[in-house]
Amino acid sequence: MKLLSVRYERFRNLGALTLTPSAKTTIAVGPNGQGKTNLLEGLYFLSTLKPLRASRLAELIQFGQADAVVQGRFLLQGAERDIAVRVEGKTRTALVDGKAASSLSSYFGGVSVVAFTPDDLAVVKGGPDGRRAFLDRAVFNRFPGYLTESRDYARALKGRNRLLKDGASAAQVGAWDEALARFGAKLFVRRRALLDEVAPKAQAAFERITRLQAPARFGYGASGLSGLDFQGADEAALAQALHDALVARTPKDRERGFTSVGPHTDDLELFLGDAAARAYASQGQARALVLAWKVAEIENLAQANGFLPLLLLDDVSSELDPERNAFLMQYLVDLGAQALLSTTDAALVQRAAGPDTVWWQVEAGQVRASDGA
Amino acid sequence: MTPDAINRLVAQLAKLPGIGEKTAQRLAFHVLRSSPEYARSLAAALVDVVDKVRLCSRCFSLHDGAAEALCGFCTDPRRDERLVCVVEGIADELAVERTREFRGRYHVLHGVLSPLEGIGPEQLRIKELLQRLGDGVVTEVVVATNPDVEGEATALYLTRLLKPLGVKVSRLAQGLPMGGDLEFADQATLARAFATRRDL
Ligand SMILES: Nc1ncnc2c1ncn2[C@@H]1O[C@H](COP(=O)(O)OP(=O)(O)O)[C@@H](O)[C@H]1O
Ligand SMILES: [Mg+2]
Ligand SMILES: [Zn+2]
Repeated sequence: MKLLSVRYERFRNLGALTLTPSAKTTIAVGPNGQGKTNLLEGLYFLSTLKPLRASRLAELIQFGQADAVVQGRFLLQGAERDIAVRVEGKTRTALVDGKAASSLSSYFGGVSVVAFTPDDLAVVKGGPDGRRAFLDRAVFNRFPGYLTESRDYARALKGRNRLLKDGASAAQVGAWDEALARFGAKLFVRRRALLDEVAPKAQAAFERITRLQAPARFGYGASGLSGLDFQGADEAALAQALHDALVARTPKDRERGFTSVGPHTDDLELFLGDAAARAYASQGQARALVLAWKVAEIENLAQANGFLPLLLLDDVSSELDPERNAFLMQYLVDLGAQALLSTTDAALVQRAAGPDTVWWQVEAGQVRASDGA
Repeated sequence: MTPDAINRLVAQLAKLPGIGEKTAQRLAFHVLRSSPEYARSLAAALVDVVDKVRLCSRCFSLHDGAAEALCGFCTDPRRDERLVCVVEGIADELAVERTREFRGRYHVLHGVLSPLEGIGPEQLRIKELLQRLGDGVVTEVVVATNPDVEGEATALYLTRLLKPLGVKVSRLAQGLPMGGDLEFADQATLARAFATRRDL
């Protein structure tokens, strides 16, 4: 997979831009607030249909405009494809070769991306919501069907919460318990499958990065499913366990008006040795954990898809200490993937640059391309 | 200036789902160019739909018989009265019917449970379904709601009500696209789903 060119129209502060990235490393340089993250965000949105940071789609549209478009020409399995996404109001439309994509799988056929942002570096020490979102991005990158599955789950969850608040009949809440358990079990299965693939690779990468004694461990924290062998259970058994937990908690959930158990309350657990990283990891160790995870995610996607994902690294070098940054830069050089890096300081990423690096000078939503810094 | 009569027709046509102003205009001019006989029979057909079509008092399908009469599905002696297929709406009923796989009777809910849209059991023809089953003639209910969140939950809700009555409850097998609509499923898929329906 290669991104051949990308076009932005009215996407955040990027007015109308057509850019040709390097087949290897492209580096966007510029002071803060100029649009570097917006460049990466557009590509992330194009590749996943999910915004990288916005909570509302409308934020992606340039102030005062009615719509925004990001369009990319990709080389996918030997064929050139034109992929575009358009946001208008609250809706987005995905287009493949100019036609509305009939299904998500036709849209996602072959596009794969991994983003790495300063927000990611904060997940270890942050709350479970951030870690869940972090995990879910990885699951979604690996299994595009997860987009629909997690939407279905969210809808079933909203429905149950509404019934709880409205004091609906036991029969109705019961029906939603069962539905929620079935949709929830699908998420369990996906998240577990992703961790089965990524965790060992992340643990190995952590060793390479830190060469420390305490090994890292990445696990899934399914809360409230008592007496279940989470790792060994099949989808039906997971659904049953979640259903039992939902039924057991119904009286309490009715009082509070929301659902207190299920994939939406679970956590990605990170350990250093036996200690929970959230409480005990140093800032540097926390960042190494995230770096190790990202490396593992890239390797895992490459293995599963048979090609390297497009990498989007947003200003991470300034957040990493020099040693970790050096590791990351060398890793990128060795990997040889197509990557788009943003930075305020070209010196920080100089080591990732080669003869085929393309430099983008970003200023007030405009981009000037050059092939040397 | 376009005559008011045309403007009125365009405005009415444009209220139809999927018809924009431009298409409405094209349709209106088409009617104008056609023989007056066509316009008159179109108008009569439209009026007949509202005057003559009513819901069957047992299964809530559409029919054009007398006010209290039953529909063709309910009265056809060749259809198996022990088997009832529950669907969300008329379009789904027609989709199932097109497969020619199902030779029992129907029950149209006219919607699906949806807490987010404020639709509860009272808004659907669920009470009537239970009443229908009271005489013990029906032995199996096939729940053919859509395989989306609300359709699944509605199926599970019905199962809870129906199982205690001693009827067999089955659900169309997957094979239907998840999150897709029964109405749009191709016949082969739907037929297969029917043949492999599962117990609930
Ligand atoms: N919807 C929008 N319309 C226009 N400008 C926007 C929009 N969203 C953000 N911006 C502008 O984009 C700039 C930030 O861009 P960003 O890519 O985050 O900068 P950086 O180069 O620091 O990564 C700010 O000037 C902000 O006002
Ligand atoms: Mg930025
Ligand atoms: Zn009838």
